[in-house]
Amino acid sequence: MNKLLNFGIYCWSWIATLGVFLVVGLLLFYLLSQGLPTIGKELFFGDAPAWKAILGQVRVWDALWPACVGTLFLVLIAALLAVPLGISSGIYLACFAPKSVKRILSLLVELLAGTPSIVMGLFGFAMILFLRNTFFPNANTSLLLSSVCLALLILPYLIFTTQAALESLSDEYLLIGPSLGFNQIQTVFHVLIPAAGRGILSGVVLSIGRAAEDTAVIMLTGVIANAGLPQGLLGKFEALPFRIFYLAAEYRTSAELDSAYGTALVLLSLTGILYGGAFALHKTLELRWNQH
Amino acid sequence: MRQQSFSGLFLAVLLIIFFTLPAVSGELDHFSNLQGNIDIAGGTAHIPVMKDAAKHIMTKYPQITITVAGGGSGVGVQKVAEGLVDIGNAGRPISAKEQKKYPQLRSFPFAVDGVAPTVNPDNIVSELTSIQIQNIFSGEIKNWKDVGGDDAEIHIYSRDEASGTRSVFWKKCLNKGTVVESANIVASNGAMKVAVSQDQYALGYMSIGHLDNTVKPLNLDGITPTQENAINGQYPVVRKLFMNSNGAPTPLVKAFIDYVMSSEGATNISNNGYIPL
Amino acid sequence: MEAFLQYATVFSALIVLILFGFLTYFTLPLFAEGQFAELFSLHWRPFHGEFGILPMISGTLALAISALLIAYPLGLGICLFVHGLGPRWLARPTLLLVHGMTGIPTVVYGFVAVFLLVPLLRNNFSHGSGFSLLAAALTLSILILPTIILLINSQLEHIVPKLRLTTTALGISRIHELTRISLPAASYGLLSAAILGFGRAVGDTLIALMVAGNAAQIPEFAFDSIRTLTAHIALVVATDSQSTTYHSLFACGLILFLTTASVNLLLHRIKHRTCRETDCE
Repeated sequence: MNKLLNFGIYCWSWIATLGVFLVVGLLLFYLLSQGLPTIGKELFFGDAPAWKAILGQVRVWDALWPACVGTLFLVLIAALLAVPLGISSGIYLACFAPKSVKRILSLLVELLAGTPSIVMGLFGFAMILFLRNTFFPNANTSLLLSSVCLALLILPYLIFTTQAALESLSDEYLLIGPSLGFNQIQTVFHVLIPAAGRGILSGVVLSIGRAAEDTAVIMLTGVIANAGLPQGLLGKFEALPFRIFYLAAEYRTSAELDSAYGTALVLLSLTGILYGGAFALHKTLELRWNQH
Repeated sequence: MRQQSFSGLFLAVLLIIFFTLPAVSGELDHFSNLQGNIDIAGGTAHIPVMKDAAKHIMTKYPQITITVAGGGSGVGVQKVAEGLVDIGNAGRPISAKEQKKYPQLRSFPFAVDGVAPTVNPDNIVSELTSIQIQNIFSGEIKNWKDVGGDDAEIHIYSRDEASGTRSVFWKKCLNKGTVVESANIVASNGAMKVAVSQDQYALGYMSIGHLDNTVKPLNLDGITPTQENAINGQYPVVRKLFMNSNGAPTPLVKAFIDYVMSSEGATNISNNGYIPL
Repeated sequence: MEAFLQYATVFSALIVLILFGFLTYFTLPLFAEGQFAELFSLHWRPFHGEFGILPMISGTLALAISALLIAYPLGLGICLFVHGLGPRWLARPTLLLVHGMTGIPTVVYGFVAVFLLVPLLRNNFSHGSGFSLLAAALTLSILILPTIILLINSQLEHIVPKLRLTTTALGISRIHELTRISLPAASYGLLSAAILGFGRAVGDTLIALMVAGNAAQIPEFAFDSIRTLTAHIALVVATDSQSTTYHSLFACGLILFLTTASVNLLLHRIKHRTCRETDCE
């Protein structure tokens, strides 16, 4: 009986592993086979001349370019808002916070990390309603609002990865500073942060990857399907993940469906590069520690 | 005396030419000294018309930006009334409740459109009575074989509460009957077309302007749902498509509305499968 | 400098309270008008004045639990595979694959499911349109799988190397060691993986919205079309801003927030209890 159970568990572990390889392989194969043929100038710029489109001289219709630019701006602004705040908070929690304070603060950050992105979007939407009724009657959903909500969404990741990168430094690092006569601030900024730099950077890259793929939060805060290039912080915008969602639901022609496959492949490559980069940074960091 | 009346005529002709010149030289000239943003949202039947109009205007006048979003008629009415967008589209007239709450709204009907019950082209059923459709949507008829089709379950697709297409279909075809809660819900006319085109045993309803060869409209009580039958009154499930503005439209919004209703706009409307008013 | 860092941290920590405040503030009118009880009715029919969100709550629970029921055994199997049941040369590629899966965007999973999984279910089973609880649960289980595996794995990575020499010396078989000794010792990882997996499943919007069908009904079968709280918010976010529909939206948001918050509080408690017992930190 026991033997049978063990054999069952053994088989299951193989089935599960091969199954997941199969599923992910199928997904990649499907996207590549359907998406690769669509990759080209047409996918990004439609019938507009590429250089003129990139320089913003002509408008691009029914193509990927406005969504690429939208996602780029969205992610950059979100990172600009979240990175300084996240790294500062991570440093404080790792190096300065008294134990009791640390516990309550990290708990609150953990709660923020668990908040579903649609709830964050609803929060952004509620903020606009609130602002319209109080200080800014003209406030509206926009690129800025989406970026702010996205920044809040990735903030906890930045805090955790910064904190973890600093806390996992070996104890020797903690001794270097004092032995050189540094005070705590100097130790943190001249010894610990440079040593943990790669880990922190990997957290930044990872959070940018998250920001690029999230769809639910921007759906409620300003992304739309036909906006063209973003017209400033307070304008509407397009984004890659939303374009995939939109086209999957309501492509009008088979050409539009093809472009949806292309878009999915582009987004997958983008997040793949970002997550891969973050992973590689993290791994080289571990290697460096292990040599010590 | 003769001389005088001749010069009068000449003047009149000159004046007529002067005033009609802009119309002759193109409807788009209204935009030449305007600039800024128009945000459009709401009815999803409108989207192709709005998108094409926006494309024409923006190609000629790069200083104007027009964004087009969906959401449904309810969303269009509410967003424009709250000042969140400049034009709120609706595939139904403003309801009494909305009228009371937002008396400042102005409606601009620009096209006629029917709502057709729609199935997959592979479905052998091509005609239903309104009673049959009511019974299907209320859940009494569950299988295509009961209405002359294959022995297969009927997959009902419906729209969300904000949809004007839904409210028209519900009033004029379903006779305000119940819709089963197990019906799949899709968010736009475009999404309805995609869903029905992929599902051999689907039954949905959508704007006639959105029909193409990937879906098949059903004859309703023997009448083919076409825009011609919709406008001549034979096909009953008909509505107008409206643009709504919050109070009097700004010059830019006015120019856009005028363009949609101009002769050039009318061509655009017909090209997208609707009948211009 | 230290003060600046402190302000930044306090600000980051306060955000979640502000968020909670906003959601509560916008839900309050429901309490004031005594409509809160109406929320917990069985039907969502705004045209008939019924605004029950129980179908969405049950849809969310059904989906999250079924996704977990599929993903958890898979995750466990893969962890055992990596830690000794599979060949050693496959362990690294497997973990690499799992890490890689965290980088696949949710919307891409949803996209592929719409065009591969939904037609498959529709054409091979006589019931339902394919857009169903089952389709969403299968897709969602792939999404939460890495979370589950990486959590259990991170614990096993600490435990297994310590035990392996001893168990090998005692002649205990690999499978016996893993299932009877290592896994029980990794109870914290096992529990937190289940809780966190559940939390992620509850919070996901896109997969439910794209493949679950969005019918506001209490699910009875795997092939039923369902609507989750998250998809409900996405579908009806911009209806009439004074009405019950609208406030019920924030009630949905609040319920979601409270659910994921309890999940995280629970995790936090388990972590600290485990830390006290095992003397970490």
